[in-house]
Amino acid sequence: MPRKRRIGQAGAAWAIVVYMAAPLGAQWLKIPSPGIPRTADGKPNLTAPAPRGQDGKPDLSGIWQQPNGVKYTVNLAADLKPGDVPMQPWAAEVYKHRQDTLSKEDPVGTCHLPGVPQMNAVPYPYKILQYRGEITILYEAFATFRQIFTDGRALPDDPNPTWMGYSVGKWDGDTLVVQSAGFNDQTWLDTGGHPHTEALRVTERFHRRDFGHIDLKTTIDDPKAYTRPWTVTYELRLMPDTELLEYLCTENNRDTQHLVGK
Amino acid sequence: MELSGKQGILTIAAAAALLSIGPAPLSGQWLHYPTARVPKTAGGQPNLEAPGPRAVDGHPDLSGLWRAEKNRPCPPEGCVDMEIGQEFLDFGWSLPGGLPFQPWAAALRKARMADNGKDDQTTHCLPQGVPRLHASPFLRKYVQTPGLLAILNELSTQYRQIFTDGRPMPVDPQPAWTGYSIGHWEGDTLVVHTAGLRDGQWLDRDGSPITDAAKVTERFHRLNYGRMDIEVTVDDSKAYTRPWTVTLHQFIVLNTDFVEDNCLENEKDFSHLIGK
Repeated sequence: MPRKRRIGQAGAAWAIVVYMAAPLGAQWLKIPSPGIPRTADGKPNLTAPAPRGQDGKPDLSGIWQQPNGVKYTVNLAADLKPGDVPMQPWAAEVYKHRQDTLSKEDPVGTCHLPGVPQMNAVPYPYKILQYRGEITILYEAFATFRQIFTDGRALPDDPNPTWMGYSVGKWDGDTLVVQSAGFNDQTWLDTGGHPHTEALRVTERFHRRDFGHIDLKTTIDDPKAYTRPWTVTYELRLMPDTELLEYLCTENNRDTQHLVGK
Repeated sequence: MELSGKQGILTIAAAAALLSIGPAPLSGQWLHYPTARVPKTAGGQPNLEAPGPRAVDGHPDLSGLWRAEKNRPCPPEGCVDMEIGQEFLDFGWSLPGGLPFQPWAAALRKARMADNGKDDQTTHCLPQGVPRLHASPFLRKYVQTPGLLAILNELSTQYRQIFTDGRPMPVDPQPAWTGYSIGHWEGDTLVVHTAGLRDGQWLDRDGSPITDAAKVTERFHRLNYGRMDIEVTVDDSKAYTRPWTVTLHQFIVLNTDFVEDNCLENEKDFSHLIGK
C-alpha cells in the first residue's frame, strides 16, 4: 500500500477513535432556533445576509460545524502541497516519526485537549457566543470552552503556556482577526502530527460571508518549527435548529489499552 | 473524610480527597487584567454594594467572575490546599440535621468517605455537575446573552448552558453531568429548572448522592454588584426522603480571569488512589 494512503488511513483511524466521526446531521436534538431567517417553507435561509450586532459588527453567534469530517483534523495542510509547509529539519523528523508510528503518541488519543487550531477542525459543532468585550466558544468536543478577548487588550508579552493559548480578537472591516499565543508544546497541529513549539502564534480570520457560512483562514507562524508561516482556509457551516450534546472523552474510555502503534 | 477537632485539621484522607483540586491557592490568580465597568466609590475604590448591572432587556445581568463563600477557615498552620467552603465537602452543611438521606444514600456516603473519596468523578477528570459546581473553590464566569446564560467553570475548563429562550424542558432529556437547564425570570430572580442529571454523580466531596431522578431548582438573585445568592432546591426522591433547600452565597471577583485547569495534564495520581 502506498505510504501516503496508509498514513492517511492511520491518521483518520486515530481521529475516529477520539472524535468518533459522527455523520453530518447526527445532532438528534431538534430545537428550533428562534429569530433566524427562513425560506417560505420554514427552512433556515443559510444564504440570507450575515446578521450584525448592536455595534454594527457582524455577529458570529451560532452553532457552527466544520463540514468536512476529519479531513483537516487529520491533516491541517490537506489542501496544501508539501512544499507549502516547510518544516525545520528537526520538525520534519518529528513529523516522520509520528507518521511512521501511526500517531500512537497523539495526546488527543488519551483525551488531552487538541489545542488551537485543531479544535476548530474537529467534526463536532461548537457554539460561538459574541458579546461585549469577549467571544466565548463552547465546544461540544471535550465539553470545553475557549475565550477570545475583544476588549482591546494586547496579547501578554509572556503568556503562561497553556493547551488552548491566550487569544485576543479585533475587527478588520467585517473580518474578526484573532491572534493567539502562549501555547505549550504538548499539542499537535493535527492528528497526523504536524509539530509546533511554544513559539507558535496562530492567526484566525473569521469572515461570516452569509447567514450560514463562515470562511475561516488560519495562519500558522512558528519559526522554530517552520521556515515561514503558512495558511489554510476552510469553511464552517451553521447548524440551526439543534443544540450541543455532551461529549466527554474521559467518560467510559476503553480505547487506550487498544491503541496500536508501531 | 474525617475531621479531627473543631479546627478541621485535615487527615491524609482529606488531603487525598483534595488531589483533584490541584495546588494553586485561590489568591494565586496571577492573571491580572482590570474588570470593565466596575462601579466606584467617591474615593475610586470598587463599590461592591452598588446596584448590579442590567442587561439590555432590563433584567439583572448576572455576568461576571464569581466565587463561592469562604465559610470554612483554614487552620492556624494554613490550608493544605485551596481554601474551600463548607458546602464543597457537605452540600447540606447549613441544613439543621443535615441532608435527609434515604438509608442507602446515607450508607453510600459513609462508605465513600471511608474510601477517601477515590471514586469521585471529578477525581477522574469528569465534570462537576449541578448544583455541585456552585460550591467549588474554583472560579466561575457567568456569560449572560439573549436566550442563554452560560456558566463557565474554571475547574477542568467545562461549561454549563442555561437556556432562557423560552424552550420547554425536553420530555426525556439525554443524561448529562450538568443535566438540561431552562430558566425564566420572576421579577429580578432567575428561576432555573434542571433535569436529566447523569446518574451516579457526587453532590459534594463527602459523596452525597444525587440521582437521575433529581429535579433541581436554582433561584439566582444578584443582591448588588458584588453579591449573588443561589437558592438551591433538590427534589430527588430516590436519594432523599424529602425535597431540601440550601442557599449558597457567591461573591464577585475582580481584575483577573481563569487559569487554565486541565485535569489530565501530567496526570499521575490515578494509579495511587487508595481506598480502605
